[in-house]
Amino acid sequence: MGEGAPLTTAALAHVVVSGLATGSIYALMALSLVIIYNATRTLNFAQGEMLMISTFVGWTALQLLRAPLLVALLVAVGAAALLAWVLERTIIRHAISATHFDVLIITLGLSLMLRSAAGLLWTHDEFPFPSFFGSRPLGVGAARVAPASLGIIGASLALMLALGALFRWTRLGRAMRAVAQNQRAARLMGISVERVYSASWILAAAVGAVAGVLIAPVVFLSSQMGLVAINGFTAAVLGGFGSMPGAVVGGMVLGVLENLAPLYLPASIKHSVPFLVMITILIVRPGGLFGRVATRKV
Amino acid sequence: MRAAALGSGAVVVLGWPWAAPRYFVFLASLIAINAIVAIGLNLLTGYTNQLSFGHAGFLAIGAYAAAILTIRAPLVPLPVTLLAAGLVTAAVGLALGVPCLRLEGLYLAMATLAFGFVVVEAILNLDWLTRGNDGLRVPAARIGPWALTTDTSRYYVVVTVAALLILAARNITRTRTGRALLAVRESEIAAQASGVHLAAYKTLAFVVSAFYTGVAGGLFALVVGFLSPDSFDVFLSVDFVAMIIVGGLGSILGSVMGAAVITTLNDSLAGFQSYRPLVFGAILIVSMLFMPGGIASALHKIQPRQGDRA
Amino acid sequence: MITRSILLFLLVVALSVSRAAAEPGVSDTEIVIGGSNSFSGPLAYTGEQITKFGVDLYLRVVNDAGGIHGRKVRTIYYDDGYRPQDSVANTKKLVEQDGVFAIIIPQGSPPVVATLEYLEEHKVPMLFPYQSSPVTRARRYVFQGMTLSDRSSRMMIDYLAGPRKYKKFAALYQDDEYGKSFLAAFEKDLGRFGLKLTAAESVKRGVTDVSAQIAKLHAARPEVTFLVLVPGPAAQALRERQKIGWTDTLMVSTGPLTDEKYLALATDAANGVEGLSLWPDPATSDLQGVKLYRAYMVKYFPKNEPNRYSLAGYFAGMLFTEAAMRAGRNLTREALITALESIKGFESGILPPLTIGRDHETQKQGFWVRVEKGRFTPLTDWLKSE
Repeated sequence: MGEGAPLTTAALAHVVVSGLATGSIYALMALSLVIIYNATRTLNFAQGEMLMISTFVGWTALQLLRAPLLVALLVAVGAAALLAWVLERTIIRHAISATHFDVLIITLGLSLMLRSAAGLLWTHDEFPFPSFFGSRPLGVGAARVAPASLGIIGASLALMLALGALFRWTRLGRAMRAVAQNQRAARLMGISVERVYSASWILAAAVGAVAGVLIAPVVFLSSQMGLVAINGFTAAVLGGFGSMPGAVVGGMVLGVLENLAPLYLPASIKHSVPFLVMITILIVRPGGLFGRVATRKV
Repeated sequence: MRAAALGSGAVVVLGWPWAAPRYFVFLASLIAINAIVAIGLNLLTGYTNQLSFGHAGFLAIGAYAAAILTIRAPLVPLPVTLLAAGLVTAAVGLALGVPCLRLEGLYLAMATLAFGFVVVEAILNLDWLTRGNDGLRVPAARIGPWALTTDTSRYYVVVTVAALLILAARNITRTRTGRALLAVRESEIAAQASGVHLAAYKTLAFVVSAFYTGVAGGLFALVVGFLSPDSFDVFLSVDFVAMIIVGGLGSILGSVMGAAVITTLNDSLAGFQSYRPLVFGAILIVSMLFMPGGIASALHKIQPRQGDRA
Repeated sequence: MITRSILLFLLVVALSVSRAAAEPGVSDTEIVIGGSNSFSGPLAYTGEQITKFGVDLYLRVVNDAGGIHGRKVRTIYYDDGYRPQDSVANTKKLVEQDGVFAIIIPQGSPPVVATLEYLEEHKVPMLFPYQSSPVTRARRYVFQGMTLSDRSSRMMIDYLAGPRKYKKFAALYQDDEYGKSFLAAFEKDLGRFGLKLTAAESVKRGVTDVSAQIAKLHAARPEVTFLVLVPGPAAQALRERQKIGWTDTLMVSTGPLTDEKYLALATDAANGVEGLSLWPDPATSDLQGVKLYRAYMVKYFPKNEPNRYSLAGYFAGMLFTEAAMRAGRNLTREALITALESIKGFESGILPPLTIGRDHETQKQGFWVRVEKGRFTPLTDWLKSE
């Protein structure tokens, strides 16, 4: 079979914007992971599944109550916050004294349980999900761009700015940053580390719920939807784990890479390229694009 | 006390195929294979604190290496095939470990995760060698004139290799090397200050870990008889991590028990169908809540420690 | 300590003594069949539908009516999550521990192919595996389920390059056994017309974005674009091509994909898409057998919507029952195989009259459909693949 004709600029622009949109999804996932990691130093394996469950709850509101999409979003965020609060208080809190590896396995167990529970409650089928954005493509210069793509990019950037503001200007945000820097010192300063843990889980879950409602129209709602968290993890590491701008940039880079690779590379390696690029970047910059390798005090 | 425990353990292991139904002999082989991987992963994670989410990739390399050798060079004796599988995988481990020396924690975990994906992609693309998606059927191996066509014969091969590798691991951890590895885990800085050459030991851990997993891969090919890229996904890598954490990091006995528990659990829950991950996940959570540090840790709390730790 | 372990040892020996049955899985009162399937993982929905709401639905009806020659049929399923090594373990368990009479409707090429040699060695019939790769063909103990990819391809290409006179073809395919077996079949069948695939782009399972692949295919300007995907990515591909305004190609879905699922996901982007349909419309067809299927679904599983997956399982249950009935009270595996091979002109009320014979293929037909107003409208009668 012959190689196709070279792509027009318009087509290329469309693919890149689409990649940025996918990347924004990854960025939102990455942000959720980083929020919890910064505060608690644990990787939440169940982040994607929590996102998935909250989106399903929002969907149920749509179906049963015939609610408008905005209400569904609020229901999803509320469900996420509740789920996070319950999980953190009942399970994670008890393991606080355990090693981080133990908590890793606990969150792994949670992810398995949530995925299975979703299948039992809603079946493992895939469902369409309405979008906030219209479907008629917009013309941006010569390129045709999907409103959903622009909408997701915009929403992600807005969320990132909101989180940035939260961390810089609110008490809670400053407390979270303090705990992230030095838990013991924060406690000595009178900050309730337990409260910060809870808040981080709830905040991360809420961000995840927003992400879920944004991506469900694109990837369809299903019990498998949470697996996008793996890409989120990749994005977070790529950008420098712990850094929020890093998470966003990492996500965008990953999304665009994933889309450009099939365009220009032979089928045999195109799927590996994002990973190979990532390994290369890590070897050159062991802390990711924006991260710093922490110098450890002796 | 120790000798009696080992003795009765040996009796059970050797006599298992006579006592147990055929399916449980197969299952025991799977447990032994997973135990070898767990020990290998433990040497990397439990001892030098390098977390790997890519060990399914090493398992795949060992499995395909052994399978291809068995198919293309059937006259090569099985022990040599297994050794070759281990060495090929160790070489890949070296190629991965050296560039990753500067990585730590989650960054290393991510690099290994990526490695796992790349290995599966490579298997798919090298389909003239691996038959890609079609999958590779592994013919029965031979030891001398005997073809290993029964679960029992394969079981004995697997437990023999496992026993050898467990002994080797105990020796490694008892020697100066082992103590150096443990020191690295406790504190890289202190270890370095004490004269432990960090890079060398971290790389050594990678290579040995890959070797163990490669040999296990060869045994996997032997016992399961069919290889396909779908066998070696990231979820399998996560399963291995679960085995060493549930078993207890830094403990060889823990790795074996973790492998036994996770493998048996996965198997016995198959009948739960849609509820399987639900129950499995619940058991994982409960285990870690009630046995922080894993089974080995919990056992040490019950039994007073005797001398140095395993 | 040693005494204790010896006692434990002897206990295990005692417990492991098993009772030998005359024919495995067949007792005076019941027949036991089973299989390893996906109840978790990417194909969990399909797995549940073909077993619990498919085979088991039909067997409920059979058991309620008294069973097969006085024996009720019991099913045992184990989850393999699409992992071949788990499928091997589950299948061994079913044969050695549970002593099933036959394996029914296992799913997915890798998990199925992993168990082929073992089942052949133990002379256990594998009935109607839910997968389309021809690699399961020509085996004494295997009877195919789905129309295999090479037959599907022949029907599709014969129809499109023949009466429809298309010349430029492209394919968007999944990067796994399903996708690659169709790709190979397309190349072969196009070759018979002196044609080649103009372009082919692969998609990884579980992908989020297919814009790059669609852009490349668009640039190649094919007249027909085959979709060899599962419903999710297929719907994404259709939406993507709608987004970029690519109207001058005919999107064609392969048999396993021609399914109400991707219609629901793609909504209006699916209009005008054509494909090879392997089953009549499970929700609206007036065929006698399909109406019965719907009635039973309402009776036993009212909350489950009729769909092609459960219909396929239901049909598998029906075929098994027909063969077991023909084999008679003296039910053995050999008798079952002979009975299946002897099926001629069997009226299921769902598919055309079925003749099986030595090739062990139970489905060899499809018909052409086009999507109009969100449903598949037939364009042809049943096509032949011989």
